[in-house]
Amino acid sequence: MSCDPERVTGYVDGELAPDERAQLETHLPTCAACSAQVAEERSLRARLRSLPQPEPRPALEARLRQGLAPRGRSRLAAWLALAAVLLAGLAWSRGSATLVGVQLARDHRHCFSAHTLPAQIWSNQVDVLRAFFEKRGTRLPPLPSGAAGLELVGARFCGLLDRPIAHLYYSAESKRLSLFVVPEPVRLDGPYTLRALGQHVRLRRVAGQAVGLVADNEEDLAAFERSFDHSLALFGGPEVPPAR
Amino acid sequence: MAGHRGPGIGASEEPFPKSEGSILSDDRLDRQQRFETDVQPHFKGLYASAYRMARNVRDAEQLVQETFLRAHLALDRLQPGSNTRAWLHTILQQVRTDDWRRRSQPVAPDEHQPAASQPSGDLLAPLDVEQALACLPETYRSAVLLRDIEGFSYQEIADILGIALGTVMSRMHRGRALLRAALAGKNS
Repeated sequence: MSCDPERVTGYVDGELAPDERAQLETHLPTCAACSAQVAEERSLRARLRSLPQPEPRPALEARLRQGLAPRGRSRLAAWLALAAVLLAGLAWSRGSATLVGVQLARDHRHCFSAHTLPAQIWSNQVDVLRAFFEKRGTRLPPLPSGAAGLELVGARFCGLLDRPIAHLYYSAESKRLSLFVVPEPVRLDGPYTLRALGQHVRLRRVAGQAVGLVADNEEDLAAFERSFDHSLALFGGPEVPPAR
Repeated sequence: MAGHRGPGIGASEEPFPKSEGSILSDDRLDRQQRFETDVQPHFKGLYASAYRMARNVRDAEQLVQETFLRAHLALDRLQPGSNTRAWLHTILQQVRTDDWRRRSQPVAPDEHQPAASQPSGDLLAPLDVEQALACLPETYRSAVLLRDIEGFSYQEIADILGIALGTVMSRMHRGRALLRAALAGKNS
């Protein structure tokens, strides 16, 4: 028989029919290439099987326990949960700044509490992140790659009430700040400040787009915003694209 | 190392809380008991698969939560004696596909796949197994993981991924060839 590398793979996996297998076993001692493939695939399989198994965080087990445990008043609880979701949806659809702010605070805390930041893209270049988001239909306003000692490190799409929103991570040694590009509609006549879940939130517009800033520390947030405004005033934003 | 593999949920921890009162019907208790016996022991294994798919903790956790939620809702459709692990992996694949559709884009790490246009035979720095797996295009990675790490048969993989049996063999072959090339520091 002639060489058939796909069939060799099937042989390594014990997935050939008895006659195919017998044919291949006759062929193998006469063919160095196929024999080498068998040995290499077996060795690869052994290496894959010896990889350490990623372990879940205990918090995940706890959350699943909580979420899936049966409850006596499940129907009532389900209705209440549904009502809460509908209310939240209604508030969102009307662009409640408070609700948006609380969601952003929660997401900031969630992302920064992870063992490693769950960025989908790592870069300190605004242009790189801008291209990443624009490719996926989200435009970024003029943004700094750093301000008040905080440096841009990466970004991802986060889901807030099922709407994907751009979440940019800024950090310094012990400081963490999130910048969110909030989709419309959001009711925001002027800058809006909020304290939620232990975080400081500032909602405002940058070049017409609603932006949310969240930091653990009030001074960091204020310093970042001052430095940000300063660069916007000077240059229209350090990374602002040329006027079209 | 294989020694890292732990027992399923419930084996080393308190079982899930049974109920908060006596209002639960027998049906619901049976159902919950079945979930604890059949589904929960696969928790850690399923998380490991989800992590290898998503390659970040947050997305892996979301995939597992959604998979368990759907499994809980669909438990009645699981025939007694059927392959629960394969069933859970099928749900996990569906969750993953839905997640992609929702984002309408693959997760970012996949953008670093080796460029297919490079001529073959070029020497590159050899990768370790985890890196090589991470660089493998999703189509091949899912097949290789299901076979080489999860130990599913070709038929089970075909069912889980919803593809033909012959396609499984060709994906396995191509996937392993790409991995071998990456480990040897070659483009293929």
